[in-house]
Formats: sequence, structure tokens, C-alpha cells
Amino acid sequence: MIGPIGLIRRIGPIKEMIMHAEKLKHDFEPKLVAFVCTWCTYAGADLAGTSRMQYPSNVRVLKFPCTGRIDPVFILRAFQKGADGILVSGCHPGDCHYMAGNFHARRRFATFRKLLEFIGVDLERLQFSWVSAAEGGKWVEVVTELTERVRSMGPMHEFKELELEECWSGKLDTAELKEAYEAIP
Amino acid sequence: MSRIGVFICHCGENISRTVDVERVAKAAEKISGVAYACEYKYMCSDPGQNLLKKAVIDQNLDGIVVAACSPRMHEKTFRKAAQSAGLNPYLVEMANIREHCSWVHEDREEATTKATEIVTMLVERVKMNKKLQPITVPVTKRALVIGGGIAGIQAALDIADCGHHVVLVEREPSIGGHMAQLSETFPTLDCSQCIMTPKMVDVANHPNITLHTYSEIENVDGYIGNFQVTIKKKARSVDMDKCTGCGVCMAKCPQKKIPNSFDKDLGMRPAIYVPFPQAVPNTPVIDRENCTYFKSGKCGVCQKVCGPGAVDYTQEDQLVVEDIGAIVVATGFELYSIGEKPKGSAIKGYGEFGHGKIPDVIDGMTFERLASASGPTGGKILRPSDGKEPQQVVFLQCVGSRAREKGISYCSKICCMYTAKHTMLYHHKVHDGQAYVFFMDARTPGKGYDEFWRRSIEDENAVYIRGAVSRLYQKGDKIVVMGSDIALGIQVEIEADMVVLATAVQPRQGADLLAQKLGISYDMYNFYSEAHAKLRPVECATAGVYLAGACQGPKDIPDSVSQASAAAAKVMTLFAKDELEREPIVAKVNDKNCVACFYCKKVCPYGAVEEKEIRDRQGNLIKVVAWVNPGVCGGCGTCQASCPSKSVELDGYTDEQIMAQIEAL
Amino acid sequence: MNNTKENTTPLVDNSYYEAVTTAIRSEARRVMESGEVSAVIGYKSGRRKGSAQPVIISDVSRIDELVFAPTCTNNLSLYLTKAKKEVSKKGKIAIVAKGCDLKALAGLMSESQLKRENLHLIGISCAGVHGSNVKPSEALSAATIARKCRECTVHVPEGVDCIAGTLPQLEQLSALESAELERLEAMSPAGRWAFWKEQFSRCIRCMACRQVCPFCYCEQCLCDRNRPQGVETTPRPAGNMGWHIVRAMHLAGRCAGCAECERSCPMDIPLNLLNRKMANELKELYGQEAGMQPQEKGPLATYKEDDDESFIK
Ligand SMILES: Cc1cc2nc3c(=O)[nH]c(=O)nc-3n(C[C@H](O)[C@H](O)[C@H](O)COP(=O)(O)OP(=O)(O)OC[C@H]3O[C@@H](n4cnc5c(N)ncnc54)[C@H](O)[C@@H]3O)c2cc1C
Ligand code: SF4
Ligand code: SF4
Ligand code: SF4
Ligand code: SF4
Repeated sequence: MIGPIGLIRRIGPIKEMIMHAEKLKHDFEPKLVAFVCTWCTYAGADLAGTSRMQYPSNVRVLKFPCTGRIDPVFILRAFQKGADGILVSGCHPGDCHYMAGNFHARRRFATFRKLLEFIGVDLERLQFSWVSAAEGGKWVEVVTELTERVRSMGPMHEFKELELEECWSGKLDTAELKEAYEAIP
Repeated sequence: MSRIGVFICHCGENISRTVDVERVAKAAEKISGVAYACEYKYMCSDPGQNLLKKAVIDQNLDGIVVAACSPRMHEKTFRKAAQSAGLNPYLVEMANIREHCSWVHEDREEATTKATEIVTMLVERVKMNKKLQPITVPVTKRALVIGGGIAGIQAALDIADCGHHVVLVEREPSIGGHMAQLSETFPTLDCSQCIMTPKMVDVANHPNITLHTYSEIENVDGYIGNFQVTIKKKARSVDMDKCTGCGVCMAKCPQKKIPNSFDKDLGMRPAIYVPFPQAVPNTPVIDRENCTYFKSGKCGVCQKVCGPGAVDYTQEDQLVVEDIGAIVVATGFELYSIGEKPKGSAIKGYGEFGHGKIPDVIDGMTFERLASASGPTGGKILRPSDGKEPQQVVFLQCVGSRAREKGISYCSKICCMYTAKHTMLYHHKVHDGQAYVFFMDARTPGKGYDEFWRRSIEDENAVYIRGAVSRLYQKGDKIVVMGSDIALGIQVEIEADMVVLATAVQPRQGADLLAQKLGISYDMYNFYSEAHAKLRPVECATAGVYLAGACQGPKDIPDSVSQASAAAAKVMTLFAKDELEREPIVAKVNDKNCVACFYCKKVCPYGAVEEKEIRDRQGNLIKVVAWVNPGVCGGCGTCQASCPSKSVELDGYTDEQIMAQIEAL
Repeated sequence: MNNTKENTTPLVDNSYYEAVTTAIRSEARRVMESGEVSAVIGYKSGRRKGSAQPVIISDVSRIDELVFAPTCTNNLSLYLTKAKKEVSKKGKIAIVAKGCDLKALAGLMSESQLKRENLHLIGISCAGVHGSNVKPSEALSAATIARKCRECTVHVPEGVDCIAGTLPQLEQLSALESAELERLEAMSPAGRWAFWKEQFSRCIRCMACRQVCPFCYCEQCLCDRNRPQGVETTPRPAGNMGWHIVRAMHLAGRCAGCAECERSCPMDIPLNLLNRKMANELKELYGQEAGMQPQEKGPLATYKEDDDESFIK
């Protein structure tokens, strides 16, 4: 049950270990980022809290006034900063606090998805949802589902690899540098 | 280097039970830019807040993160506390480690890690926060009400009674709208004129109401609290100040045979006229199209007979500009004239019903005029064709309404009830007459409504036939109505003396043009759209504009009046303060970078973005840029996400703040 | 991006080019002499045989310099906006526009960058232009024609003030770009990622693509910002990927398909594939595409209440 080395840090007191036995199974814990609007989904997540529902702790929430404010660049950047899965969530159509912000967001992300798909990003890592302030249960469901799906997919290598590629190590004493330095007449 | 203070709350045990708050505080201390970190049992309590205030001063903090419950709970509390210690409240952020962490995760290790990361993200964000000042917009405490039907009258009276000035603009020569035309009203059958005219007189006499009748809105500029409205007063040809309302002119006018549209053309009026005897104001207008003087230059009788010399043929249209703080739109409805289908209308006509061709096929409003004691027949139900009392009357409901294939899918809401009313009025006036009603189903939600409808069947002998009519035709002096009774599954043929069509309630012709002047939105039928169907049913998306009555959708009188009073309450709320204060979460444009593509303007749901010209000192145009009106901006940030050059930024949610959070992932 | 395997027999007769050239000159002369316009933006011959380059003529005596040839590749709309800002201040201008250039002009009108009443549009019945890396002296043939022209839908401009030349009978050429698009679409996500990763890794961030794009008229590009830095500015793989995603997204629903970006790219990155893909998607999703008439709102500046949301849970 206590699998690969990566798990060792999670082993706590025996009692807790047994209580959370099912959590210890995973040898990969994805990093999830949720971009949510404050009026519906953020409030829905609050409701999940006040109702003491339980869900995986992988998600980090960023609050926006409206899904209309969410720029595709944020999603791109979050992937580059190591997100394995991303959720964008706001008010159901017709419920937008600002009337139409979510309608604009819907088009923007329908388009952006297509672009990412064409570039070769697996869209299973990018989830969109409408979660209202009353849908604490739906929030839990969406987050749990995405966590489990991304967990089974494994880490998002693509953007991270790019981050690392051709990255200068910062070392000043490599053989190449030395050689180049010596070559200066 | 920033000096951020981080305060971790235990929330009793609500947080500390699953989150190791000490460890979070320790970790926070190590984040660069954090000058102070601590944990406390109840941050929101007085001692907790004092702790925060003291730290702001002692530690000279320039930013605060309170890691506690949801910002939706206590953000205001902590921002206030910081403000009282001299820190700009917008430099305070909350890290939600209760609803989003301790309450939803059981594993202490996981919860602690997550809490630490949430705090880190918010510390990075708060470093990018800017000081913001609340935005104030001065408010002109004068309201404009457009439309003087029952809805407009009610709104105007409510606002005026509260002590604010109201400008009421009515297109027709008199206020009153449709309600003034009705005979008796459901569900109580009280006389419409009797309850309406006192209100009309109140408007005329109210010291706080300026009434512009025979007038229209020419132009609307400005924004909430600060509109400039240009009103066109059409030439009345009668001086309102001099006229005493004696009516001699009308009596002497030789042109007496002009169909009166107030009476649905059943009665006649002179060329100088008031639409009905109880008109407010009781000042006649000259209908220049039909006046002999205006047509041929001869006549001039009215001027000669007018004692006070009020008749003035030289009057011209006049433009009046009013400063206005809030606008109530109450322009009401129109009945769909199914006979002559308006040009360019997407709605198909009902040629098969012969309206406009068969004189005794009339619409509901014509029936109201026939039944009205002050109407053209003195309240007798008589056929328009030969003035005989009809012995069999067929009523058709849903003519035009709920007929998707013909172009209107909505229910006109009032026809079930007024048709029931009509059968009763008919029965009261023609005791041995028989009323038949073809209907799809009876929709009678409302206090006393179903009882009223049942009465028409049970006590007043109306025969209701569930089914549709396929054709009407004239046979001798009868109208043959061919329909089906789907309950019995048989064809029905009735030889009627008169047929009354309950035609669809539609927005006014030109409703869209007025909406464009006001910058408000409308639906596919041209009914005006409310900001939120459930929570903001009387406000428009455009700040400072409110809706009342049937211009927003089919409504009966009680609904129109309720909405009017609600709109008035909204206006009074706005007028309660001298300045409109609002959170400074609004968008701002960077003039230097803006390239005037106006994507922002196209997407803004509030119409807050305008075009601004930038000129040099000599007044030469340098460039045009976008400008966000802070009084109108709702703060959604859609503009910023749409701006290709990121030249417009939403304060409180800037790219820098959000990116800082993402970088801290 | 040339099609070396293709046929080199000329697609159109030389008389076609002569006729177009004459028509451009006579219209230009007419509007210049009448004082209707203060200048004409068009093409003139370059130094190398067969080559052409943009020219702004404000002197009637130079009108005969104007030409049309297969090398008239540039999208001249650029010379009305960012490249030559001062030109449009001179009052009404005449401009020579191929169908794709016209789409850019229409887009710029939609985005308040140009006003129709300030332009006199000389449209060209265009048989196509050269692709990149073609010798200017070569004739227009299946081998030398630009990929975009092989599947052009706007050979004859609409809504212009005059049309120069008549379109000769054109041979139906295979749609190479659409075929390439289909090939990519059929791949697995990982395959596409590998494809684009390789393509973008070559990008040297010279920004030629941005420089020639009529729609990249921002004073400060988001991708040059450092506070905050949304996209890394150095030509490293991560930043390159960011740049190309942002570029494609910002042009989605606006791009005219002139393929100038692709033509000017020194690293031969097939940028128009991305443009075409996004245009296809937006057309499919919202039924809107860049056209020859200005649109009040592009597909991403508006919405419908019943837009597709099958991807939203
Ligand atoms: C046949 C019939 C019978 C009915 N019977 C009943 C009943 O028994 N009981 C009941 O509760 N309801 C009844 N109703 C419904 C009732 O008439 C409406 O609910 C009510 O009139 C709506 O009032 P309103 O002020 O919104 O609109 P309206 O009465 O239409 O008033 C709108 C006013 O605005 C003015 N106006 C329009 N456009 C402009 C403009 N651009 N500028 C300035 N002024 C403008 C118009 O001239 C009009 O005076 C009946 C309706 C019909 C058709
Ligand atoms: S979207 Fe941006 S660049 Fe365009 S007008 Fe608005 S602020 Fe200016
Ligand atoms: S923040 Fe929203 S409401 Fe304000 S200007 Fe931008 S789009 Fe309009
Ligand atoms: S993106 Fe390329 S093809 Fe599209 S308009 Fe710009 S330069 Fe032309
Ligand atoms: S022109 Fe080519 S190399 Fe230069 S920035 Fe654009 S894609 Fe990169």
C-alpha cells in the first residue's frame, strides 16, 4: 500500500493513515487551478464548505468578478507554471451578475479550447462549468471529477518541458563557456 | 520592499482543527515582503481587529492578508479595521482557508499545505494591490417618467409625493393611456374612469410634477444621476396658459366628422379636440392634418370664438432640455392590428378572421369602448355595422398570442381575464344574449382571478369552447364562425352577430427607437429588457433607467401599478443621497496604449465605454481613445479580457494582481 | 512554402496583367486628376526582373509607375494604418486591393481604424500571387502560386469603387493548406503537439509576422510587456509557444487570411495554418467569418444566448 518514494512525506500517525487510506493510493497528486467568478462559483464553493462536504485538496482557487474577466493568457500561464488541470467556472447563462459577462466568456473559451486542441493540448485537462451559488454539491462533483481524471492522466509534461528546455543552468564554469572564453583573442 | 502583515485566524477551532495555523504563520513569515505574521483565535472579534490595527501602526504595514473565512463573510470587516488604522482598505485581502480549506479537507497535512499555498498566493497578490478611493457621482434629484399610462402616472405620483421633482412626458394630448379607455376592470368590475381620473387630476395638480403632453423624447445624453434629456413639445396650436378649457372651440369647429382613435374610430371628433372629456390637461389640440385652416388657410373659427384668445396657429414645435437623475420608462403597449399587418413585420396576419373587412369583427379594445358609459354608444353594446344589439357574440382568445408559427410565442397574459370580463359586461347589458368563447386554456393566476373567470361561466352563462377557429365569413347580416371543439371532438359552426378578437399585446411601434435613444436593451419582440429576470425586474441594465408597466411585457393593471411603485422606490433610493457612492472596482483606460479598436465598447454589458477625443493645446485632434464612465461601469472586467492591447484595466483585478497569484502557484 | 512538385506552366496569360495594370493606372489617374484623392497606394516594379514593391504616389506624373504582377504580394492596408500613419491624415486615399487585402481593410473599418468614406478602393480581379521563396521573374504557375491563393474565395472583390481587370478562367488547384490542416486534425493531440513544438522551436521572435499583420496594430503588444509578463519575450521554447498561442487567439475572428505573416516569416513557420484553423472554427461555431464588408461586431465581440455550450459542464 505504501507505494513509491514520492509518498513518504504523506505518512502521518497510524490512525490518520488508516482514516485516509484511500488517499494514499495515489502516486501522483496533480496541481489544479480554478478560475471562478465571485458571485456564483466562488459562493458555491463557500457553500460546499459551510455544508462540510469533502473533496480533494488539489485545487487552488482564483477569484474574479466575472468569467468575462478571465483572459486566456491566464490559462496559458497557469499551465506554464505547472498546473496539471484547469477549471474555469461561473454563473449559469442568464444568471450573470453583470448580465452578459459569462456569454462573452463562453465564446472566448469555446474558441480558445479549439486553439489549444489544435496545438495538441489534451482538452481533458481543461474543464469548464457553470456552478451556481446554490450548487455546493456540483462544485464538489466537478472538482473531484477533474482531480481524479487528471490524476489518472498523470502530470502535464508539455508546457513544463518547454519551460525547462534551453534553460541556462546559471553555471559559469561549464566546459563550453570555458572554451568560448578561451577562444576570445 | 513591501511590508505585508499576515494574520491567520483559528476561527475557534473551525480552522485550527484541520489546519496547523502555527505552521502556516511560520511559513508566511518567510515569504519575501512579509513583515509580520501571527495567528489568533478569532480575528473578527474586537481583540482580533485591534491586533490588526495595532500591527498596521506598529509594523508600518503596507498590505494585509487575513487568512480566515470567505471574503464574502468578512472582507468588509477587515477592510474597515485597516482603514481605521490609516491603511487604504483596498490593500487588504482575505485568504479563504475555512470554506475552501479546513471545512472541506480532513487531512491535516494536506489542509496545512493548501492553506500555506493559499496564503502565499494572496501575499503575492496584495503586493500588487493599489490604493483605491471610493467613486462618487453627483445625483440630480429630478426624475423623468416617459409615458402617462397608469404605470407612468403611478411612478410619477410616488416619486413626487416623496418630495422629488418629476418630469412626465406623454406622447398623446392627454395622459391616461389604455386604462382611460377601459369600461370596467377585472377582477372587481369597478369603473375604470372612476379610479383613473382622480389619479390623472392628481398629476395635473401636483406641485412636484411638470407635465409635457403631446411631447416626445428627442435625445438622451449623460448617465445615471446626470442625464440631459431633450424633449420635443409638438405644436398644440393652443396656448396652455391662456386656455380655460371651456370647449367653445370644439363646439364651433365646422370639421366634426373625424374618427376619434380614442373611441377606436367608432365616435367622431372635431379638428380641435381633446381625446375624451376627462382629458388631462383639458386643453385641446388642433389636429393640423384635418384642420381646414391648416389645409386651406380659410376658416379660423376657433380663434374667433375663443374668449381668452388661446388659439395660436403660429405655434411651433419646441425643444426643452431637462436635467434628470433617473428615468422611468412606462410607454405601455399596443394591440396587434391583425387586419392590416404592419409593413415589414415578421408576424403573419390573420386574414382568415376578416378583421378590417367584416365590420362586426372587432378587437377587445373596441368592445371596451362599446361597453363604456362614456363611449360612443353611451355604454350600449351595438354592432358597428348597423347599430343593432347583437344576440350572439363570439369571442376568440389568443389571436396572435402563443402562435409560434405566426411569429409570437408569448402569452399576452391579460386576454383570458378581459374576455371573461367582456362576457359578463355583455350579459349585464344584453340579458338574453349568448356569449361563446373559443379558448386554448384559461390562464387565471392572480388574486380572485379564477373565481372571476368561473363566475363568467357559472353565473353569467358564457359558453366556453376549447378549440380553435379556422375561418370566419359574412353570411347575410351574420358572421359564420367555423371552429372545432377539441373537448368533444366535433366541428362547431356558430352564426354570430358580432365577433370579438382578443388580439396580442405588443410593444409600441418604435419602441426600439426609444430604446436606442435611452441605450437600453430590448428583446426580439421589442419589449424592454430588465437587468435580471428575477432579482432586478424593474431596473434596466443601463444604470439609472427603470421600467414600469406593459412596455416590459404584457401586464394587467395591478402588475403595472406594482412595478411602477417598485421603480419609483428604486428612484427614491438613488435620490436618498446627494452623491452616488460606489466601490472603486471599475475599469480605466490607459490613453497612451489604447488603439481605439473599441472591442471594449462592443462587449461592455453596461454601455459604460465611450469614445474620447484627445486634443493638444491648440485643439488639434491627436487621437481617439476609449473612456470608461465610472458611474456606469459595473466592474465585470469583460472589456479587459477582450482588449487586445490590455489598455483597459479593472481596478482591484488588474493583470498584475492576477499574474502575481498565478506566478505563486 | 512553395510547391516544387507542381506544374510550372503559366496559369494566366500575360495580357491579363497588362489589362489589370492599365485599368489601375486609368482609375488612379482619374481620381487623382479630379482631386478626389490625394494619393494612391499601389505597387510599382522593383529592381529585380518581375519584382514589385509598394508605392505611395501623390504626383499624377508618376501614375504610370503603377503595375500589377504575380509579385504584388504585400497587403497594402498596412500603409494606411501602422506603417504609414501620416498617409491617412492627408484626406481621401485610393488604394489597390486584392480580395484578401480587402478583407483586411473591411476588418480595419470594423475596428474603427479606417473609414470607408476616406478610401477609394481599386479592387483587383486577382488570379493569385507568388508564394514565398519564388524567383520574381517566374510566371504564376501551380508551382509558384501562394498556398492561400490555391483556395482563395475572394478572387473578385466586392463593394469596391472600381474593379481592375477581368478574371481569366482559372484552373482548379488542389487545396494544399486545407489538406495539411486535415492531416493535422487527424493526428493525436501528442502528434500535433510534437508538430507545433518543432515549428515554434524555430521561431527567432523577429516579429516580422506581427510587423506585417494589418491587425497587429497595438501600440504596445501584450507580448512585449514585462509588468506583468504574460508571455516570455526571449526566443525560448516556452515563450515561443506562448507567443504563438496568443497571436492566434488575438487574430481569431479578425484575420483576413492574407498570409502575409507566413510569407514574411524567415523561418518558414506555417502560421496561416493556425489562422485558417481558427477562422474555420469560428465559422462553424458562430457562422461568422472575415468578409469583404465591415461587420459591426466580430464573432468574439458578441454572443448569442443559445451559443453552443456542449463543452461546459
Ligand atoms: C381590451 C383590454 C382590456 C383590459 N382590461 C383590463 C382590466 O379589466 N383590468 C386590468 O387590470 N387590466 C386590463 N387591461 C390591461 C391594461 O390596459 C394595462 O395593464 C395597462 O393599461 C398598462 O398600463 P401602462 O401604463 O403600462 O401602458 P399604457 O396604458 O399603454 O400607457 C402607456 C402610455 O405611454 C404613452 N407613450 C407611449 N410611447 C410613448 C413615447 N415614446 N413617449 C411618450 N409617451 C409614450 C402612451 O401614449 C400611453 O399614454 C386591459 C387591456 C386591454 C387591451
Ligand atoms: S479594447 Fe483596448 S485598445 Fe481597444 S479601444 Fe478598448 S481599451 Fe482601447
Ligand atoms: S468592467 Fe465591465 S462594465 Fe466596466 S467598462 Fe469594462 S466591460 Fe464595461
Ligand atoms: S494573421 Fe497573418 S494572415 Fe491573418 S491578417 Fe495577419 S498577416 Fe494576414
Ligand atoms: S516571423 Fe516567424 S520567426 Fe519571426 S516571430 Fe513570426 S513566427 Fe517567429
